[in-house]
Amino acid sequence: MDNKNAQNLDPWAKPSGGFINWLKDHGRTFNDTTLFVSQRLASSLFVWFLVGIALALPGILWLAQMNLQAVGEGWQGRAGLTVYFEAGVSPAEIETALKDLKKMPQVEKTALTTSDQALQDFVAQTADSLELRDIMASLDENPLPASIQITSSEGADFIELEALQRQLRAKPQINDVVIEKTWLERLRDITTLLNRLGWIFGLLFGLGAIFVTSASVRLAIESRLEELLVLALVGATRGQMRRPFIYFGACYGVGGGVMAVMFLALILNAIEGPLQALLGSYQVPLVVKGFDAQFLLSVLGIGILLGVIGAWVAVRQRLHRAQFI
Amino acid sequence: MASIVLDNVTKQFSSGYKALVDVSVNFDSGSMTFLTGHSGAGKSTFLRLLIGVDEPTRGRVLVGGVNISQLSAKRMPWYRRNVGVVFQDHHLLADRSVFENVALPLRIGHFPANEIAPRVRGALSAVDLLDKEKLLPGYLSTGEQQRVGIARAVVNRPKILLADEPTGNLDPDLSKTIMDLFSQFREIGTTVIIATHDIELVKDMGQPTLNLVAGSLADPIVTQTKVTEFN
Repeated sequence: MDNKNAQNLDPWAKPSGGFINWLKDHGRTFNDTTLFVSQRLASSLFVWFLVGIALALPGILWLAQMNLQAVGEGWQGRAGLTVYFEAGVSPAEIETALKDLKKMPQVEKTALTTSDQALQDFVAQTADSLELRDIMASLDENPLPASIQITSSEGADFIELEALQRQLRAKPQINDVVIEKTWLERLRDITTLLNRLGWIFGLLFGLGAIFVTSASVRLAIESRLEELLVLALVGATRGQMRRPFIYFGACYGVGGGVMAVMFLALILNAIEGPLQALLGSYQVPLVVKGFDAQFLLSVLGIGILLGVIGAWVAVRQRLHRAQFI
Repeated sequence: MASIVLDNVTKQFSSGYKALVDVSVNFDSGSMTFLTGHSGAGKSTFLRLLIGVDEPTRGRVLVGGVNISQLSAKRMPWYRRNVGVVFQDHHLLADRSVFENVALPLRIGHFPANEIAPRVRGALSAVDLLDKEKLLPGYLSTGEQQRVGIARAVVNRPKILLADEPTGNLDPDLSKTIMDLFSQFREIGTTVIIATHDIELVKDMGQPTLNLVAGSLADPIVTQTKVTEFN
């Protein structure tokens, strides 16, 4: 027996017009959801706030990890050493040391920063701090030493740089030699740590967002049980009954995503100044990477996904218990 | 249209209480039948079985030749879209206007948009509430709310119309109007079953009556040919 004949015999067969009706249902549900949420703006804002926090923390960790990685990559090209001279070393001695360094095979490039230049840089970078300016003004002489930044030649490995460090440290006019690579390695460790923390917090807070949405949708279901009963009795399908709550979840997710973006923008704005000073001390310009349209859409998308999952869990549990369905 | 057959139906709840005991009855398509009995006699359970809210513990409920207690959860909505139900306690949505309450079965059933308003207004006109379509149910009297529930039950011209005390909150004149409305549905082939305490109204209507006593069918107080014992 084909389907058409079967439908003719079955008085309670599924009516035709599936896809168009499905679209109509979505339109109706969208309107209902907008109305429902707008009537309960205060509680909706609370849910958005909580979901926003849950999304913002992993978001900021992800941004931090991404930017530190970018900084690390920027440094990798200039991996090398910084030679700090003793205070009071004469310019002639520094010039001699510079010439000697240039002859070394491990050295590709050198850049001299005199103590006066170091002071100027320091003053420029700490211009916002009145305390530091006062301290510097109270000093009789410039405490900052001259330094030479050495860019190692291509292929020079860490062991060679350490050997060079030992060799230079042995010179009396040199106070210290710092291998930048150790900072780079630390930076990579920090980046890895942030990456792991991002995932862990992402998972935990993602679950938190699901629970918050789920609990909110469960409350919405409880407040609309009467409506669900009526809908069931006038022939609403499970999909038609579930759909409004899935939309609530999506709505909570979108709102939470928007909140998260706002939180992130506020956080970035708040840390911009100190971060600029920190990076400036390493001659790295502050360019925040990752806080772009793709990231913002991803936050919104993840918010919607978590909201829908939370709503789905709540609807599945609650409607399953409702005997009339 | 849809004939209804209850075949040796018993409904026992988990507490052990038997709401219906070995009920067998046949309702032809286009029949109108009153279901009477004291509170607790099993009238509501009888209707709940027909709506598909409850399942019989034993026996079969056949509607249009289909055993509805075996309908899958997916198919149950398609069946219910053909059943208009008037509830004793109205079950109106408090945050929707009278119009939207009545339009609900049409929207759920995906009726064309241009049919919804005329049908809703037609149903509201039949229960004399056309001027209150924009009000929320909370602004209506109990009797008016009852009439909104009736309009909602008939708006999609169901094949089966089930009513639980539909005139409980209405004055005699309005009760007669509502019964005439139900009669009109019967005339176009709808199978109508009305549970009521109002014996006078039942007598006035002159339609077949089933009397439930402690979950079993007693002798009908008014008997006509349309209702027959199944066995």
